[in-house]
Amino acid sequence: MTAPARHPVLELRSVSKSYGPVRALRGVSLKVEAGEVVGLIGDNGAGKSTLISLVSGSAPPDRGEILVEGAEKTFESALDARDAGIETVFQALALAPTLNIVENVYLGRELLRRDPIGRSLKWLDKGAMRREVASGFQRLGLTLPAVTTKVAALSGGQRQAVAIARAVLWDSRIVLLDEPTAALGVKQTEIVLGFIQRLKQHGVAVIFVSHNMQQVLRVVDRVIVLRLGRKVFDGARANLTGPQLVGLMTGALAEEASVARAAPAVPGPSSKECGNAV
Amino acid sequence: MSIARPLQEWAQRNGLFFALVILIVFFWITSERFMTSANVAVILQQVSVDGLIAIPGAMLVLSGYVDLSVGSLAVLSAVIFGEAMQAGLGLAPSVILGLAAGTGWGAFNGYLIAYLGFSPIIVTLGGLAGARGLSQLITHGFTVFGFGPLFAELGNGTLLSVPVPVWIYAIAFIIGAHVWYQTPYGRHMAAIGGAREAARSLGIKTRVIPFWLYVASGFASAIGGLIVTSELDGASVSLGLGMELDVLTGILLGGVAFTGGRGSLFGVLFGTIFIGALSNGLIQINVSPYFQQVAVGMALVFAAGLDVLYQRLDRIRFTEEEPPAAVATAEASEQAEETA
Repeated sequence: MTAPARHPVLELRSVSKSYGPVRALRGVSLKVEAGEVVGLIGDNGAGKSTLISLVSGSAPPDRGEILVEGAEKTFESALDARDAGIETVFQALALAPTLNIVENVYLGRELLRRDPIGRSLKWLDKGAMRREVASGFQRLGLTLPAVTTKVAALSGGQRQAVAIARAVLWDSRIVLLDEPTAALGVKQTEIVLGFIQRLKQHGVAVIFVSHNMQQVLRVVDRVIVLRLGRKVFDGARANLTGPQLVGLMTGALAEEASVARAAPAVPGPSSKECGNAV
Repeated sequence: MSIARPLQEWAQRNGLFFALVILIVFFWITSERFMTSANVAVILQQVSVDGLIAIPGAMLVLSGYVDLSVGSLAVLSAVIFGEAMQAGLGLAPSVILGLAAGTGWGAFNGYLIAYLGFSPIIVTLGGLAGARGLSQLITHGFTVFGFGPLFAELGNGTLLSVPVPVWIYAIAFIIGAHVWYQTPYGRHMAAIGGAREAARSLGIKTRVIPFWLYVASGFASAIGGLIVTSELDGASVSLGLGMELDVLTGILLGGVAFTGGRGSLFGVLFGTIFIGALSNGLIQINVSPYFQQVAVGMALVFAAGLDVLYQRLDRIRFTEEEPPAAVATAEASEQAEETA
């Protein structure tokens, strides 16, 4: 998976989306390489959530294409996106509190017994799921309570760990993290930031949406700034400062100047450079 | 992490079972007839209709929905069957028409609720009034009776000395338990009931599953209506009165949360038997029939109280355990970082 890919793991080509009269995204193009952590930032209403919902399959784009490893994809539902290897960790974590850890990790794509009777009766293979989750947590260096613990009994940080582990255990190629640290304390935030590094080590591409500039600058390789539905900046993290990012988000820094200075925003050979520069 | 938690879980799982045992022992002592094999067969026969309807009913509650129209769908199916028989359509077509009536109304409920987003309580309350009213309209309040010996087997026959309705309930329960515990649908229902938005964002079929559960609920009500019709050899418009209350009480006593997301079908089995044994036992010890209704009503309120209690206990457990658990995770991830 980490072998030099011919195609970027995720590519958007001039994607647009309107909600009624609101033009949430206006011709945004971007590329993300395997093992790359991209910070997606922008003020409220910049189009971050819209972009996440298009890539996660919750809504279709009006115009433009979404390509996963070079192949164009049309997502009918979130399940299609998950099947294509795109996992989303929402602010709300998308966990069912009354189900246990294993049930949550496999929610929506449970393993079934392989024998003909098991297949025809849709018989769950509970043992296999439990083993997979336990060994997966071990592989990720995660210590959680017993995998049959109900999620309602877990702390905020542990729930976060379950949601992220779900993404990794599924061998997802792209993980979208939508404000994953917004509701967390210092210690839990550290755990999540540590996870982002670990996802990267596993060759997973991560798109990290956050309001917190310090966190973004700590973990990402590249920063994409959206403003009023357009991409106004796309460049390596190096030499960027918090105040600069805020300037880009609010429009205080002139768009053209910043884009010209910090490498191209349009897809092309040079933007690949910026992906590989990591 | 103390002894309190396993104790609480044990009580949550087995409390009802022991309450049932105490109830049975009480009636055994106070009534000579209660534990005779004839009376036990009567209880089981009474329980099987409510229990059958409680299987899809419990799945609906688990998913965060409810069906209050079951008793009225049972009577509608019964009178349509009765009218068809009287019109000389023959047994098989009449049974099919009766089943189609309940199932069709169930599909109507399911479409309005699952696809158009109508309130489950209001739609099925409408069904409760509407289906019974329609039954009275069709029959003008007259009871149709005399369906022949073959149809009588459905409610009164026995197979290997076990009543046919009990067989039907047992088979339905095995199918229901398989769906609940052994297929993806059981956890999907709990996810829909406990966290609908999360379930939707994970691609779970949050419309299809409740829709088919309403269809199944209508179908089970129709079968229940036909069983009672066969037992009485008459399709009366008073059939299934208050059935939704008995069924719902059994479900909630069994520990299925009315808010959805949590519950066990075995609990519902015990809850349904509890209600059946309570009603029967009160008759045996010559308590006024009016008091039976009081008892079922009190049992329903008691079940609601248990539900609140379980939720509070869950919350206490969560806050007690949070700090040590969070530290453990943090340490583990630090260690992992060092080794990496």
